[in-house]
Amino acid sequence: MTYVGIPVPRTEDARLISGQGHYLADLAIPGMLEAVVVRSQDAAGELRSLDADEALSLPGVRMVMTAADLPESARAITRSFYVLTPQFVERHAVEVGGSSEPVLAAGRVCRVGEPTALIVATDRYVAEDARRLVLADVDPSPAVVDPEAALSPGSPLVDPAVPGNLHGRFDVVVGDPDRARENAEHRVSARFRIARSVGSPLENRGVAAKWVDDTLTVWSTTQIPHVLRSYLAPMLGLEEERIRVIAPDMGGSFGGGVYPEEVLVPLAAMRLGRPVRWLEERGEDLMNSRHSRDQLIDAELAFDGNGSFRSLSMRILQDCGAVNPFGITLPFNVASHARSVYRIDHFRAEGLCVLTNKTRNTPVRGAGRPEAAFVVDRLVDMAAHRLGMDPADLRLKNLIPADEMPKDMGMMYRDGNQLVYDSGDFPDQVRTALEASGYQTLRDRKPRSDRHRIGVGMSCHVEGTGLGPHEAAEVRVDTSGKIVVRCGSQPHGQSHATVLAQVCADVFGIRPDDVLVRTGDTALLPFGGGTFGSRSGVTASAVVRIASEQTRRKLEELASDVLEIAVNDLVFEGGRVFPRGVPDAGLTFAELARLAAPGPASRRPHDPGLASLNTFVPPSVTFSSGTQVAVVEVDIDTGMVEVLDVVVVDDCGTILNPMVVDGQQHGGVAHGLGNILLEEFRYDDTGQPGSVTFMDYLLPTATDVPSITVIHRSHPTPLNPLGVKGAGEGATASAPAGIANAICDALAEFGVEVTEMPISPARLLDLIDQGRR
Amino acid sequence: MKVDLELTVNGEAVGISADPRTTLADLLRDHLGLTGTHLGCEQGVCGSCTVLVDGHSARSCLMLAAAAQGREVTTIEGMASESGLHPVQEAFSRHHALQCGFCTPGFFATVLEMMSEGVLADEAIVRERLSGNLCRCTGYHNIVTATLELLGGRP
Repeated sequence: MTYVGIPVPRTEDARLISGQGHYLADLAIPGMLEAVVVRSQDAAGELRSLDADEALSLPGVRMVMTAADLPESARAITRSFYVLTPQFVERHAVEVGGSSEPVLAAGRVCRVGEPTALIVATDRYVAEDARRLVLADVDPSPAVVDPEAALSPGSPLVDPAVPGNLHGRFDVVVGDPDRARENAEHRVSARFRIARSVGSPLENRGVAAKWVDDTLTVWSTTQIPHVLRSYLAPMLGLEEERIRVIAPDMGGSFGGGVYPEEVLVPLAAMRLGRPVRWLEERGEDLMNSRHSRDQLIDAELAFDGNGSFRSLSMRILQDCGAVNPFGITLPFNVASHARSVYRIDHFRAEGLCVLTNKTRNTPVRGAGRPEAAFVVDRLVDMAAHRLGMDPADLRLKNLIPADEMPKDMGMMYRDGNQLVYDSGDFPDQVRTALEASGYQTLRDRKPRSDRHRIGVGMSCHVEGTGLGPHEAAEVRVDTSGKIVVRCGSQPHGQSHATVLAQVCADVFGIRPDDVLVRTGDTALLPFGGGTFGSRSGVTASAVVRIASEQTRRKLEELASDVLEIAVNDLVFEGGRVFPRGVPDAGLTFAELARLAAPGPASRRPHDPGLASLNTFVPPSVTFSSGTQVAVVEVDIDTGMVEVLDVVVVDDCGTILNPMVVDGQQHGGVAHGLGNILLEEFRYDDTGQPGSVTFMDYLLPTATDVPSITVIHRSHPTPLNPLGVKGAGEGATASAPAGIANAICDALAEFGVEVTEMPISPARLLDLIDQGRR
Repeated sequence: MKVDLELTVNGEAVGISADPRTTLADLLRDHLGLTGTHLGCEQGVCGSCTVLVDGHSARSCLMLAAAAQGREVTTIEGMASESGLHPVQEAFSRHHALQCGFCTPGFFATVLEMMSEGVLADEAIVRERLSGNLCRCTGYHNIVTATLELLGGRP
């Protein structure tokens, strides 16, 4: 039997359900000291001095490190995350500056929460006591908080090196959007405000480091161990060989990058010659980590009286925060996904990356796609309302038909390749969602009281998944006969150990239990990409498949040689290789591994062992897609929204493990639901954050999220060996728009149009009141 | 100054002296090595640190260790027995009710309390009772399914 495609139970669970997970905070290194970070309490200003004398005199405090203590090479993180090709830059008129994020503030502070010092002490209790004793002398200056005001002449500058606070821009033009707009019979437009939200995994970030025998070991809650190592080597003046980065079990992540603490903690460990650990607090996490969204989008859809879409145009204002290592990534993701599943031949998207005195923005689950789907699917519903059409009918009329796949969208993706929807059947997907949800009869549902209204909403999305540049894996036959997979992509809940074992097992004709998957450690293999952008199912499965096949060929060669049987006449079964029809005459994988071991008697002296290290370089992203139907009930007296049902129809190509994929869909819907109904990280007009506890920053609970129906309509991609398309983020993309459309449907009598994310009960009441007047 | 504590943890008597400001969570994790109890917010909101104290769910991040004097504490490490995993552990795994696993120990404590109280296997009630535990990975769907099954409802 084969294992790809079936719900193999997770090998991860045995540890995690018995309290034997190994998260960063569980790490206990003998002699370990603990660190806390001192942070700016001002959004902008001159940092005149930092007085740490009193903190240093507290018993148990070992060190207070400030910017003056940092070596020149480690003062700032200056790498940008993505390299853009010259062709891409020219084609879409891209301008983007460099990025320099101070590891510790020097001379000035540019946001609340910016690290100003690191305190190392015998334990966390002492370190926290000392934190209150560090005195910063800051001469505050006016903070730049509103991204529109940031662009106006005379605005203070967030970074003196960035004129006008404009850090990046692009202009995408497809077809002739101006003429198409002029010639269209109707237009709907709106300004969409998508609030800043926070990735908020249940585990906060953390870093630990030890410096032993001139070798640095760094444990970090990172999604990208090999990338982090490549950042650290030049900053710390070490060869990559002398740095080992380990990502232990992680309590979720949902986005990230490289953060100053990942530089500070290793520096402290090297300086003190003692292991040092820093564990982020929840308030720090909310204030500093994984901020995302935060866009202001002016958009217009032009269409004809028969409902045909003519053009879509938008201007995306991205509030980047104080530094922008991700360049145009987020607003460009909006642009490249804005036309979604629809045929819109004429398109324009202008993107502006604006600096403000806030925490830096970063890609978090969805990363531009929830914003894109929110804008376009709200506009589609507004257009349907204008024409008096059912929104589902208007969608069906404008979907890209299956026979046009692959569909060139007339622009580039940000990896520099032409943006092509490689596979999928959007009309089938939408019809399936309508049928499965019972769309036609949903509005007949009776609300629970006179003051409740039921509404139905629909949304679609596409997602470029499986971004490069590469993923790496080594597959080796252990002398025990088990197969070992080492992969550069590591999990934070995504079930790599189970799923990659399924992929490998099928190649060798064994059970997943006989495959040992190792991830999250740069010592395992020289290269690695990481887990982000719905890429592991795509790129890690591809490279594990490729490396498994190559190792199998080595097994075949050896078995053929030893058994004196042609390769084509060999059978792989149950961890053995034998001549077809003669199962007793074969060799076990363990026996073959021993025959291949190096030494004078090796049967593979030219290539000892049975292993293969491979990389997979995806030709470009592959496009997943999905459709959701949401049913909501709104209390018109309180503005409270209850989501009653969500139906998801998903196309992630070949499904590796349906149980795992469904879990990703459930979590994705919940994340999107949080974004549209609850989650907002607020700053006041002086740049002070106002959402630094889970009492102020609301995550969805079990009473907010409904039961979710997931249906698969899979169309495998030709772009990788297994036909996989990413599944980790899509449901987050569709959920906000679907729920928003359902709210508007429920409140149609009041003419409510939701244009902001999240929409709070208070704001909804305002809109209902406006409609009543 | 230290306080001398005597309590029962997972059925075993523990005698330990600790700083008076030590939380129960830190006592379990740092002094007793029971790192299965996780700290997600240390503000009593996320529920990851939930343990059972005398059979009742408690936020171990908000409870001082000294307040556990003479009481019986149960953590995730005390759930399995010689005859195997606890039904809660099995049901969560079978229904894929955990992904990253970080919030899972807290959910276990909450569900154990619901089972001992004989909470009705009703979805609305179950969701209400689970709403003190945050999960960012699963969307709660499979956690609710597993819990309903454990309470004797639909599988």
